[in-house]
Amino acid sequence: MTARWEPQLEPSVASGAEQRQQYVVDSEAKLAGTLRSLRETWSYRDVMLAFASRSIRVKYKQAAIGLLWVVLQPLSATLLFTLVVGKFAHVSSEHAPYLLFALCGMTAWQFLSEALTTSADSVVADSALLRKVYFPREILPVAAIVAAVVDLAPSIVILIIFELAFGYWPTVQWLALPLVPIALIAGALAYGLLPAALNVYYRDVRYVLPFLMQLGLFLSPVIYSLSSLSRPVRDAFIIFNPAACAIDGFRRILLHHEWPQWLLSAASLGWCLLLALVTYTIFKKLERTFSDRA
Amino acid sequence: MTQPAVTFDHVSKHYRGTRAYRSLRDDITGLLRPAPAPVAVEAITDVSLEISPGESLGIMGLNGAGKTTLLKLMCRIAYPSAGRITINGRIGALIEVGTGMHPELSGRENVRLYGRIMGLSRNEIARRFDEIVEFAGVGDAIDRQIKQYSSGMQLRLGFSIAAHLEPDIFVVDEAISVGDAGFQERCVERMTQLSHEGRTLIFVSHDLDAIETLCERGVVLKSGRLAGDGPAHEIVGAYFDEVSFARPAAMERSEIGGGGFSLIQVGVVDHVGTAILEVPADQPTRIRLRYRADRRIPGTSFTIGLSAGAGRCFVLASMLGTGEMHDVESGEGVIDCVFDDLPLNPRTYEIWGSVRGAAGYGDIIDWQRMSSFKVVRSEPERKGAVMVAMRVPVRFPHHWEVPSR
Repeated sequence: MTARWEPQLEPSVASGAEQRQQYVVDSEAKLAGTLRSLRETWSYRDVMLAFASRSIRVKYKQAAIGLLWVVLQPLSATLLFTLVVGKFAHVSSEHAPYLLFALCGMTAWQFLSEALTTSADSVVADSALLRKVYFPREILPVAAIVAAVVDLAPSIVILIIFELAFGYWPTVQWLALPLVPIALIAGALAYGLLPAALNVYYRDVRYVLPFLMQLGLFLSPVIYSLSSLSRPVRDAFIIFNPAACAIDGFRRILLHHEWPQWLLSAASLGWCLLLALVTYTIFKKLERTFSDRA
Repeated sequence: MTQPAVTFDHVSKHYRGTRAYRSLRDDITGLLRPAPAPVAVEAITDVSLEISPGESLGIMGLNGAGKTTLLKLMCRIAYPSAGRITINGRIGALIEVGTGMHPELSGRENVRLYGRIMGLSRNEIARRFDEIVEFAGVGDAIDRQIKQYSSGMQLRLGFSIAAHLEPDIFVVDEAISVGDAGFQERCVERMTQLSHEGRTLIFVSHDLDAIETLCERGVVLKSGRLAGDGPAHEIVGAYFDEVSFARPAAMERSEIGGGGFSLIQVGVVDHVGTAILEVPADQPTRIRLRYRADRRIPGTSFTIGLSAGAGRCFVLASMLGTGEMHDVESGEGVIDCVFDDLPLNPRTYEIWGSVRGAAGYGDIIDWQRMSSFKVVRSEPERKGAVMVAMRVPVRFPHHWEVPSR
């Protein structure tokens, strides 16, 4: 006996248009279709962007050096890894300077970890809003991911600056560079929605996540090379771990002047989109009792 | 035929679970041994309701009767456990006003953000921005961070954003009790205006006066069920009586006081001394205090007040004022306070009282609510009668006249 809202017309709430709209909520209705929910989510894109811009504003409101943190975080981690791993552990850096090699990894991983952590917290953090106004709740984690994308841009710029500083000049393969963030964003959507919903029910998520993020750092080829893994393991990494896919893309383009592995990248994207769709459906089901629980 | 704005079709809502949060541990251990069945809290049970466009509806009920849940279901904030809800039109809701604003952002940024969340477009916000700020009365503080606002300012700003939505259906939860008197007046004005513009108004309040003024129709919720539905003035009157009379049974102690002196019965009696609850208006009225004392207390002063609620008395009969005294003898005794005339409007009144001894300090029995009675008039109740009675209890003899030229 669970309920379900079915927006019967395109809701005009986000657009603010004075057109009429009808909602029917029927506790007996069957799962009527993710497509309709997706359309509603899309109609709330404006509100989603408002949430994202709020997160960005709030984040740097009281930080003295503001946006600099975005580039300092991956940079300092990279330097640390360069010193520790690069100097002492003698890990293969695929014949590139280890600093550059690790920075490719950190740039991608930093985004994914930031996106997943903030999206997991997003619904709980706005529980006061859940109790006072309706909007499709998935726009909260999506807004968190969008806010993380805004941080990704300057860190890619830094990566390119280092690239140039080490004497790696642009090649035609750089044209594929904008595709790498797409893999990352799809990955964040795929893996970020469910923690956000589960966090409402189990606050354990908050404690488990930092651990999973540490694990994820080592499950992603940030400080080591994918080439050190056997072929099937390597392929599985690229398909199921969007960070691995992105890091592989970055390194091929920036360090080896190669094109990304198209087939594997497409498989990774396909997997992420499928997973995103499944977790979205689960999210929409769990969403119904958010305001009772949050 | 126009569609109803809001339709509830056998809607129920229960909250389940006894704990605030479940932890993963509980679910894992729950796998091993069956957990005790969660206690479902029925917030709303089988409510069917139809609200026409343009109608103004007041929802009454005691705390926990399910009023807020009903509103939350309407606004899609909560999902029903059973039944079907149909909404036609854009809903603007004033629920938990003032919460959810971000403390780190300025008032201006919050207005922009929450305006958009609540359904205003960027253009609409830009257009109404000054109006919103003026209505909230926050002035130059609009560029300060919300965390520097007083709680009243936060609430006013929150209400103001919501009040400037232009919804087809305006849902207000107890928001009127927010802010100072001037602000409350503006709120009522705004609601009246929206209602006159033909928008549907759904309003939850404990302020029965406001409901009778603002609403055409009233609904009473009682333990999650619909317990009354009709023209607001009738429903308000009936509900008011019920609430006033429900209290003595639940709260009234049989004996007031203790330690040597107690009042064992306070109330209105008729000419033969029988206790009565309904008192005809404009008649001599006798309030009887029956007491028990275990010793003689000379020079005792009794004070009786009549209150129309909220603890303030509009009539005070006190021996302290006149210098009269009464010597309480040991055992049971009776003293009556007689009003020659009781020109009161029909409604329920409270009897307050205190007893003070000549010796020592303070009262033997502190000033407190002691009993209640209801004034009835023989003439039929008409719309507005309850409102008048709620505002002013006393009815002075008067008539209306057109002076001849």
